[in-house]
Amino acid sequence: MLKTLVEKEIREILSSTKFIYTFIVCLVLILLSFYSGAVNYKLNVTHWEAANAENLRSFEGIKEWYRVTENRIFLPPQPLATLVSGVSNDIGRTANIEPSGEIVADDSRYNEEPAYAYFRFIDLEFIFLVVLALFAIMLGYDAICGEKEKGPLKLCLSNAIPRTKFLLGKFIGSFAVLSVSLIVSIGLGSLLLPMLGVFLSSEEWLRLALIVLAGLLYFGLFLAMSIMVSSMAQRTATSFLILLIIWIGSTLILPRVAVLLSGRAVDVPTVDELGYQKAMYGTEQWKEFMNTLGNYEAIDNDNMEEVMANFNKFMDSISIAREDKMNLYRSRLNEQRYNAELERSQIAFALARISPSASLSLATSTLAGTSPNLKDKFYQQAKNYQTSLKEFLSGKTGMNVGGGMMIIELDDGSPEKDPIDPSEIPQFVYETESLSTSVKDTLPDFALLILFNCIFISGAFISFNRYDAR
Amino acid sequence: MLNILIQKELKSIIVSNKFIVTFVICSILLIMSVLIGINEYKQAVTQYETVHQMADERIQQVSSWHSVSYREHRKPSPLMIFTSGLSYDIGRWSDINSRSTVKLKNSIYSDDPIFAVFRIIDFTFIVQIIFSLLAILFTFDAVNGEKEQGTLRLIFSNAVPRTKYILAKCIGTWLGLLIPILIPILLSVLIVMLFQIQFSSQEWIRLAILIFISILYTSIFVVFGVFMSTMSRSSNVSFLLSLVFWITFVLILPRGGVMASGNIVSVPRIAEVEGLKVSYAKNKWEEYYKNMNDIFADSRNNNTEEDEDISDDMMWANMKAQDSLRKEVTRDIEGNEATLLEDWENKRKAQQHLGFMLSRISPAAVFQLAAMSLSYTDIDLKSSYESALRNYRIEFNKYIDKKSENAGPGAGSIMITMDSDKGMDLKVGRDNAIDVSDRPKFTHPKVQLGKILPDVLINISILLLMFTSLLGGAYYSFLKFDLR
Amino acid sequence: MLENNKQVILEAINLTKKYDDGVVALDNLNFQICNNEIFAMLGGNGAGKTTTINIFLNLLEPTSGDAKVCGVSSHIEPLTVKQNLAYVSENVMLYPNFTALQNLDFFTQLGGRLDVSKDEYREVLMRVGLAEQVHNKKLKSFSKGMRQKCGIAIAILKDTKAILFDEPTSGLDPKAGYEFIRLLNDLKDEGKAVLMSTHDIFRAKEAADTIAIMNEGKFLMKEKASTLFDKDLESLYMQYMAVHGLKPTTEGV
Ligand SMILES: Nc1ncnc2c1ncn2[C@@H]1O[C@H](COP(=O)(O)OP(=O)(O)OP(=O)(O)O)[C@@H](O)[C@H]1O
Ligand SMILES: [Mg+2]
Repeated sequence: MLKTLVEKEIREILSSTKFIYTFIVCLVLILLSFYSGAVNYKLNVTHWEAANAENLRSFEGIKEWYRVTENRIFLPPQPLATLVSGVSNDIGRTANIEPSGEIVADDSRYNEEPAYAYFRFIDLEFIFLVVLALFAIMLGYDAICGEKEKGPLKLCLSNAIPRTKFLLGKFIGSFAVLSVSLIVSIGLGSLLLPMLGVFLSSEEWLRLALIVLAGLLYFGLFLAMSIMVSSMAQRTATSFLILLIIWIGSTLILPRVAVLLSGRAVDVPTVDELGYQKAMYGTEQWKEFMNTLGNYEAIDNDNMEEVMANFNKFMDSISIAREDKMNLYRSRLNEQRYNAELERSQIAFALARISPSASLSLATSTLAGTSPNLKDKFYQQAKNYQTSLKEFLSGKTGMNVGGGMMIIELDDGSPEKDPIDPSEIPQFVYETESLSTSVKDTLPDFALLILFNCIFISGAFISFNRYDAR
Repeated sequence: MLNILIQKELKSIIVSNKFIVTFVICSILLIMSVLIGINEYKQAVTQYETVHQMADERIQQVSSWHSVSYREHRKPSPLMIFTSGLSYDIGRWSDINSRSTVKLKNSIYSDDPIFAVFRIIDFTFIVQIIFSLLAILFTFDAVNGEKEQGTLRLIFSNAVPRTKYILAKCIGTWLGLLIPILIPILLSVLIVMLFQIQFSSQEWIRLAILIFISILYTSIFVVFGVFMSTMSRSSNVSFLLSLVFWITFVLILPRGGVMASGNIVSVPRIAEVEGLKVSYAKNKWEEYYKNMNDIFADSRNNNTEEDEDISDDMMWANMKAQDSLRKEVTRDIEGNEATLLEDWENKRKAQQHLGFMLSRISPAAVFQLAAMSLSYTDIDLKSSYESALRNYRIEFNKYIDKKSENAGPGAGSIMITMDSDKGMDLKVGRDNAIDVSDRPKFTHPKVQLGKILPDVLINISILLLMFTSLLGGAYYSFLKFDLR
Repeated sequence: MLENNKQVILEAINLTKKYDDGVVALDNLNFQICNNEIFAMLGGNGAGKTTTINIFLNLLEPTSGDAKVCGVSSHIEPLTVKQNLAYVSENVMLYPNFTALQNLDFFTQLGGRLDVSKDEYREVLMRVGLAEQVHNKKLKSFSKGMRQKCGIAIAILKDTKAILFDEPTSGLDPKAGYEFIRLLNDLKDEGKAVLMSTHDIFRAKEAADTIAIMNEGKFLMKEKASTLFDKDLESLYMQYMAVHGLKPTTEGV
C-alpha cells in the first residue's frame, strides 16, 4: 500500500512541469555557484600569490636585517570560502606585522572592490538560503490543498487507507525525489571543482559534504513546513501566501532583528573609540618615555663603545617597560571589547537561531571557516606570527627589535655586504580550525535543523489528520 | 467601459486576502526598516561626533610637528536610512599625514563581522526584493486565472475590446498594488519627519526621486506578471515561470554581471600595488644613498688638499644637493605611487563599469544602482571621499611643512651629540605642546544632485523602457490569448 | 429479488449534520439500502445530498446519528467502512499528469486490489465507454465526461459492496447516460448497494429501486420506484418543491 503511494508520488512529481522547471533552474544555479566559486577562488589565489610575491620582492637588495622592520601577511583564500563566503569578504585580509605593536588587518574585499558589495556573490549558501527554500515552498505548498483543489484527494481518502499512511507516502516520495535530484546536482557541481583545477583535501570534501547535509536538512525543513501548511490551508493561494510570509520572516527579518537587538542589549565600544584611547595612552607613554630619556646621565667613560652600550641598555629597558605597559593597556581594552563582542554574538545567535536560516548560515559558514570567528582566528594567528617574526629578527640582528635602539651606521669603506635572503623571513601560514572543532561548533545548528524537521513533519501529520478534505 | 473594468479589478483586489497581507507585510517591513535605519543613522552620527572630537583631542596632545597626524572620519549621510548601500562596507576613516597615503579603513562590517552575517535590511532592499515579489503575486494569474474561473468567457461574451480589457487589467492591478505599498512608504517618510532627521532640501528631492523609482520598479513587475499570465493557459505554469524569472532577474543576474566582469577584467589586489610601491621606493632610496655616497666620496677625494673654508663651502653645497636630491626622490616616489594608484583605480573603474553594465539587464540592478547613487551610498561615496581626502592631505602637509620650518628643525625630538672629549650628550625636546588650531579644516564632499542626475536619468529611462516593452509584450500576447 | 437474501448495506439512522455556521444540512435522516438495490436521491441545490455522501465517506463527522456501512459506523471505524465503499464524485478529478491507465492502476491498488491486470483495466474502460485510443492519454487532455467515465471505472474496479455516486451522469452525453443506466443495473445484479444523488429525474425513475426527494436535509418523499410507476415523477417533484417554496420554514409536508 505504502509502496503504491510512494510510487505514485514519485511518478507524479517526475511528470510535473513544475518539477522539471525547478530542477533545471536548480541545476543551473548550483552548477553556476560551483563554477563561479572555482573561478573566483583561482582568481583570488592568483591575486594572493601576486601580493605575496610583490611583498617578498620589496625585501630584495636589502643588506641589513635590521632594515627589515615589518612584513605584510595576507589571509590566504580558501576554496570553501568561495562556496560559502560568510564574512570572508567583509573582514580585512592584509596585515602589516611589525615586531611589536598592535595588529590591524585591512583591505577587506568589499572595501577594496565595492562593486561586489552591491549585490554580493552567488554562493552555495545563498542558493540554499534563498533559492532552495523558495523551491521547497513551490514544490510543497500545494501538496495537500492542491490535491484537494484540483485533484483527487477525496477519491483517495474514500479508500481504506489511514491518512497517516497517505501523508507518509507523500513525504517519502517527495523527499526521495527531491533529495536525490539535489544530491545529483550538487554532486555534478562538485565535480566541476577538480575539473576547473580546484583541488580539495579530503578534510575539505568532508566539510563540503557536511555543508551539503546542512543544506539538505534546510531544504527538507522547508518542504516539511510547506506540506504542513498545505495541510492546514484550504486553498493553494492561501498556503503559498502563508509560506511566503514565513520565508520572508525567517530568512530576511528574524536574523537581522536578532543581531540588532543584541547590539542594543550589549554595549560594545567601537574600534575607533578604542583606537583613540590607545593612541592617547600611547602619547602619554611616549612623553613619559622622553622625560625619562631626558633624565639619562651618560656614564663617565672614555670608551665610546661602552658609553653606547650603556645608553642602549638603558633605552632598551625603558622602551621594553613602555612597550609592556602599552601592551597591557591594549590587551585590557581589547579583552573588554572581545568579551562584550562575545556576549553580543552569543545573544545574537541564540536569538537568531529561532530562524532555521540563521542555523543554516552559521553551520555552513562555520564549516567553511568563514563564520564571524574568522576575524579573531586571523588576528590570533597574526599575533603568533608577530612573535615568531620578532624572534626571528632578534636572532638575525641580535637586538631587541621593535624597542628603541640606536644604530650608528658608519660608512667605513668595508666591503659590500651580500643582500639578505628574503625567503628566510618566516612565512605566515594560516591554520584553519580543526574539523572536530568545527563540527562541535555546528552541532547545535544541526540539532536545531533536525528538530525543526521533526516539528514540521509531526505538525503536518497532526494537521492532516484533522484536515477537511471535502 | 474601461472604468467599469478597472473598478471591477480594484474591487476584486481590495477584498482579497493578498491585498490585506501585502498591506500588512509592507507596513511592518517598511516601518521596521525605517526605524532601524533612523536608529543606525543616529548612532552613526553620535559615533562620528565622538570620534571626531577624540581626533581633535588627540592632535592637540602632539608635541612635535613631525609626528602630527590627523584622522579624518567619514560623515554618515542621512539618506542611508533608506539605502544603507555601501556605508557599512566602506572604511570609515583615513589617516592624514605626510607618511601614509589616503586610504579609507575599518568598515563597520570588518570591525563587527557579526553584522555582516545577516546584512542590514533597508527600504531599497525591501522594494527590490519584497515589492517585486508581491507585485508578481498580485498579477501572475491576472488573465489565465480568470480563464480558469470561467469569468473570462463571460466578460468577452460582451462587446469588450481586448485592448481595453488588458489595459484595465494593468491599471487595475497596478492601482490595487499602489495602495498597499504607497501608504507604508508615506508612513515611513512621516516617521523620518517625526524623528526630526535633518534633511536638506536636496535630500528631500533625492528621496522623492527614490520613491518615484521604487514605484516605477514595482510597476515593471506588475506588468511582467500580467504578461506572464497571458503567456500560459494555466495559472500554475505562469506562477512557476514568474517565480523562475524573478529569481533569475532579481537574485541572480545582478550578481552574475558583477562577477563576470571580475573575471573579464582582472584587477590586482591593492596589496600587490602597495608591494610595487614599496619596492619602487626602496630602489629609489637605495639609488639615492648610493648617489650621496658618490658625492661625498667625490668631495672627499677632491678636498684632501684644500683648506677648511672651501671644505665648509663644499659641505654646504653637498648638503643642498643632498636636500634637493632627497626632495626629488620623494617627489618621484609619490609620483610613481600616484600613477600606480591611478592605474589601479582606472582598471577597477573599468571593471566596475563593465560589471554594472552587464548587470543592468536586470531591473533590480538598475533600481539598486539608481537608489544607491541617489542616497549617496554608492561607489561615489568612496571615490569622492578619497579624492577630497587626498586634496586635504596635500593642504594639510603644506601646513605642517610650513609650521615645522618655522619651528626650526628638530623641535620636539631627541638630539644626541657625541664627543670624544665630553662624552655623550642627550637633548630631548620637552613637552612643548604645539598649536594646531589653525590647521586647515576638511570639508566633507557632497555629490551634487546635478552631477548624478544624468546617470539617474539613464537608469530611469532603462526602467521605463523595460516597463513599456513588457506592457507591449503583455498586449500582443493577450491579443493571441485563447479565450476558450 | 429474494427477501431472505437481503441484507442492509448502507444505513442512515437519525443522521443530522449541523455546520458551524448554523446551517442544518441534514435533519434526522433515516434510510436503508440493501444489496441489489439502487437508491436515488433527488433534490434541489443545497438540499444535503453531497453532505450525506461525505458523511458516509467520513469526510464529515455527523452532528448526531449514524451512517453505517454493513453495520459499521463510518465515523467510528472509517477504514473498515471505506473498504466497502466506492465513490464517484460530482466532478471527477484525477491526476492530470497521469494517463487513464496509470490513474486506474494507482486507485485500484489504493483500493486494495493489487492483482488486477492491464487487460482488465482496458476491459473496464471499454465498458464505461472509453475507447482504446485514449487509454494511454494524460488525464489533463480529457473532457469532463471522459473524466467522469474514468471515475466510474475506478469505482467498478474497486469491487465493493456499496457504491456512492454523486451526480454521476452530469456531463455524460445521452448515449453514455443510457449506457450508465445499463451499467448500474449490471452492478445491481452483481449484488451491490448503490446510493446515487442526481438531478436527472428520468434516469432516476428508470434505474432506481427507491427514490427519495430531499429538501433542507429531510426526505419530503421516499417511495419504491415500482409504486411510483404510474405517477409522473416530475410533477410530483415540482409539487413537493412548490409546497416547500411556499413554506420555506416548513415542518414537512
Ligand atoms: N462547509 C460548509 N459550511 C457550511 N455550510 C455548508 C458547507 N457545505 C455545505 N453547506 C450547506 O449545506 C447544505 C447542503 O449542501 P450539499 O453540498 O450537501 O448540497 P447538495 O444537495 O449536494 O447540492 P448540489 O445539488 O448543488 O450539489 C447547503 O445549504 C450548503 O449551503
Ligand atoms: Mg452536491
